[in-house]
Amino acid sequence: MSANIHDRALQLIAQARVEGIPEADSTWLRAHLEECDSCAGHARHTDRALRLLRTVAIPLPDGLASRTQFRVRLRAMELREREPKRRALWFACALSWAFGIASAPYVWRLFAWFGERTGVPRFVWELGFGLWWTIPALFGAAVLLIESLRKSEQADWLNQGS
Amino acid sequence: MLMSDEAKTIARGLQRRDPDLLDRLIEQYQYRLFRYLLYVTGNKERAEDFFQETWIRVLERGHQYDGKSKFEAWLFAIARHLVIDWQRSKKPQSLDTLTDPGQDHPLQLANEKEPSPLHQVLSQESEENVQASLQKIPAIYREVLVLRFQEELQIDEMAGVLSVPLSTVKSRLYRGLEALRSQLQRGAAS
Repeated sequence: MSANIHDRALQLIAQARVEGIPEADSTWLRAHLEECDSCAGHARHTDRALRLLRTVAIPLPDGLASRTQFRVRLRAMELREREPKRRALWFACALSWAFGIASAPYVWRLFAWFGERTGVPRFVWELGFGLWWTIPALFGAAVLLIESLRKSEQADWLNQGS
Repeated sequence: MLMSDEAKTIARGLQRRDPDLLDRLIEQYQYRLFRYLLYVTGNKERAEDFFQETWIRVLERGHQYDGKSKFEAWLFAIARHLVIDWQRSKKPQSLDTLTDPGQDHPLQLANEKEPSPLHQVLSQESEENVQASLQKIPAIYREVLVLRFQEELQIDEMAGVLSVPLSTVKSRLYRGLEALRSQLQRGAAS
């Protein structure tokens, strides 16, 4: 029997257990295992390894589930408490946008009038108008950024604790 | 209840951050998640820490679970990301890493004569030969063996958990299976 046949048998033994093999290969393998003690032994050892792996029992630490449930409930409370603040932030943003859009033509005229009166170049008062629009958005982004940084610091407990 | 119905119920509950649902899920998946974490970290205390942190993440990011895949696959993926983040922050040589041992650092045992933390946990109830064999297999292979043969995840589900192509999952499975078989055979012979 050539080495290639044994190699094919060993490959099929593993493949059958990992992802399955077609019926034709299965029939060929069964016939080969009946004739070849070495490959049959390999198949037996593989099955034994998987059987042992499936039957390994791991003792659970005492109270692991209840401790975790407690922590999760605490965190859920924290998140619920934070929810109104977040809603208020979104509400403030929405209000600010609505007010900004409604007042934009008046503010534009105000900036133009101020530019004319003071002789400030056009691009400067236009820039001022742009900033008047972007500063609230920048402020909102900063608040959200600080919030996410705080969250990542909280997640660092794992690194510090071990 | 069908699997997809159950997954959708879980997804809806997680959207609402339903505390009763979370309590039930923690109870239901405690053994499987702890076993997975124990195999990938090789350390009982660390596995406990990651267990708790995984459920906190489930609470915080529950809205990201859409119920289209098995809940356990999503759960293991969260746990795995936590372990990897932690590993990245540590010195690689001190870890039983989840990276490919052919390309990176293989499993390091502090002292071959002393039982490893994984061994200490497993030795309480398992056959000695399996414990010794498992601790000698790199974590990256232990992980796929657990997911495939203990958790009975499909290969495509495993690819989702591990964020790697199907071919990588298969090659790790073949190598892991061969490593386990030869370790057990060597253990039986000695």
